[in-house]
Amino acid sequence: MGMRALFGLLLAVALSLAAGAAQAHPHVWITATSELLYAEDGTITGVRHAWTFDDMFSAYAVQGLESKAKGAYTREELGSLAQTNVESLKEYAYFTFARADGKKERFQEPVDYFLDYKDTVLTLHFTLPLKNPVKSRQLVLEVFDRSFFIDFQMAKDNPVKLVGAPAGCQMKLDRPSDGTASAQKLNEQTFMNGENSNFGMMFANKITVDCP
Amino acid sequence: MKPQLTPMARGLAVCAGVLLVVGVTDAALHDLLAQNPFGAPRSPQAAQPEAGGLIGWLLAKQSEFYRQMSATIRAAKSDGSAVWTLLFISFAYGIFHAAGPGHGKAVIASYLVANRETARRGIVLSFASALMQSLVAILIVGISAWVLNATAKTMCKAEGAIEIASYALIALFGLRLVWVKGRTFIRALQAVQAVPAIAGVPHDHHDLGHHHHDAHDHHGHDHAQAHHHHEHDHVHDEHCGHSHGPTPSELAGPGGWGRGFAAILTVGIRPCSGAILVLVFALAQGLFWAGIAATLLMGLGTAITVAAIAVVAVSAKDIAARLSAGRDGGGALFMRGIEFAAAGVVLLFGAGLLLGYVAAERTTCF
Repeated sequence: MGMRALFGLLLAVALSLAAGAAQAHPHVWITATSELLYAEDGTITGVRHAWTFDDMFSAYAVQGLESKAKGAYTREELGSLAQTNVESLKEYAYFTFARADGKKERFQEPVDYFLDYKDTVLTLHFTLPLKNPVKSRQLVLEVFDRSFFIDFQMAKDNPVKLVGAPAGCQMKLDRPSDGTASAQKLNEQTFMNGENSNFGMMFANKITVDCP
Repeated sequence: MKPQLTPMARGLAVCAGVLLVVGVTDAALHDLLAQNPFGAPRSPQAAQPEAGGLIGWLLAKQSEFYRQMSATIRAAKSDGSAVWTLLFISFAYGIFHAAGPGHGKAVIASYLVANRETARRGIVLSFASALMQSLVAILIVGISAWVLNATAKTMCKAEGAIEIASYALIALFGLRLVWVKGRTFIRALQAVQAVPAIAGVPHDHHDLGHHHHDAHDHHGHDHAQAHHHHEHDHVHDEHCGHSHGPTPSELAGPGGWGRGFAAILTVGIRPCSGAILVLVFALAQGLFWAGIAATLLMGLGTAITVAAIAVVAVSAKDIAARLSAGRDGGGALFMRGIEFAAAGVVLLFGAGLLLGYVAAERTTCF
C-alpha cells in the first residue's frame, strides 16, 4: 500500500473532522452601553448595562406576549420576560468579566432590571453589583459571548460612562473591529496565550479604566 | 521474484496505518475536547475551536446575509419585489452557513465513508436532510408560534429538547455504525492474520464467507475466479481480489435507502436557530409565507454545500480504496479500518455533543 493511499485516507478523515469542528456564528446582535458605578470613596461597586437587541431577536423574544396595544409593550408587560432574561444570563456569567488589578472579580445577581420596547427593538437594563466592591488602580471589564452566539458591540455614542469615578480616572475602550478582522487576528499567538485564550475573546469589548 | 514482505508483515504494516489514522482522529478530537477546560456542559467556557482566515471570512459573510434578512422582510411588506432579494439572501446564507463547520456535515461525511456510499447517494442524503431541517423549523414555528401563540421561552425550550434528542440520535447512530463496522473490521483482521497459518492451502471457504457480508454473489464468483487464476502464484495475491468494494448498483439495493433514512433523520431533526428566528420574525411582520420561502431557500443553499463536501469525502475514500486495492493484500483490511474509524467519529461526535464537550451552535434561551 502506497503512501498516497494513506494520504488519501488521512485526507478523508481529516476532512470529516474539520467539518465537525463545530462553530457558532452570531444569531443575536446586542448594542451595549455600560456604566461603571463608583462609590464616594472611589471603590467600584458594579456595572449597569443597557443592551439593545437586534430587531429580529426582539420580534422573537416578544412572540406570544400579551399586550394591550398591538405592537407596543409596556415595562410591566415585559416584566416576566426581563426576569427570564436575567435569570438565564446567570448561566453565561452575564457575558461580563471583570478584573481588578489583574484579579478576577465576581458579580452578584442583577438588580434593577427591566426591559423596554421602542422602535421595534428591546433594550434590557440591569445592574450587576460586584460581590466585593474594590478600589483598584486598573479595572478591566470585558463584555462578550465566548461562543459567539451573541455579537456584542458597544454603542457608537457614549458607549461607556464612569459614574462617580474619582478625578483623573482614564477610560479606554478596545472594540473588536468587525467579525472578519477579529477572526483573522486569530493566529498561533492566540492559542499560545494560555488558559485565557479562546475564540470568543476575539470578539470581546474591552474596557480599561486606569485610576491614579 | 521481486522482494516481497511476508503477508504477516504487511498485515502489521496495514494495522499500523489504521492505528495511525485512529490516533490522528483521536488526537484531533482531544484537541476539540480540550477546548473546554472545565468540562461542564453548556458553560460559558465552552470555547470554540480554531477559526482561520477562511472561517473568519465565512463568518463575516453569513452574518452579513443574515443581518440583511430582517430589513428585507420588512421591505417585502410594502414592496413585493423585495421578496426576490429575500430569497437570494436566504439562499446565499444557506450556502455560507453550511460551509462553516457544523456537526451535520461531519455526520453525513463520516456516514458516507463508513458505509461505502456512492457520491450520488451522498448528494441525495444531503438534500433530503437539509429539506427535513427546513421542514422541522417551519413545523416548530408554524405549530407553536402561529397556531398556539406560544412564547419565545416555550419555543426555545422545545428547540433545546430537540437539540438534545438530535445529539442522542447521532450517538446512537454512531454506536450502531461502530458495532457493524467493528465486526467487519475484526473479521478482516482475522482474515489477514489467518494467512500465514494456512499458507498454500486454498481458503475459499473462509474468504467467501467474509465476502458475503459486503457483496453479492456475482462478486464472490469473480473472486473465486481470481482465486483460481492466482492459485499457483503468491499466496498473498489472493487477497488482492478481495479488496474491491461493492459496485454502486449493489449498494442502492433493497434496504439501501432505508439505511440512509437514519442518516437523514439524525441530521435533519435539528432545525437551525437562524431559520427559527427568521420564521418568527416573518410571522410577526404578517409575512409568514415569506419566512417559509426563505427557510426553504436556506435549506437549498445548505444542501448544495453539504452535497459538495459529501462528494469530496466519498471521492477521497474512493481514491484511497483504489490505491490500496491493487497493491497489497491488506487493502481490504485497510479500508475496513477506515470505515471503522469513520463510524467511531460519528459516535464520538454524538457523545461529545451530548455531553457538551464539543461546542456546537447551541440554543441560547434568554
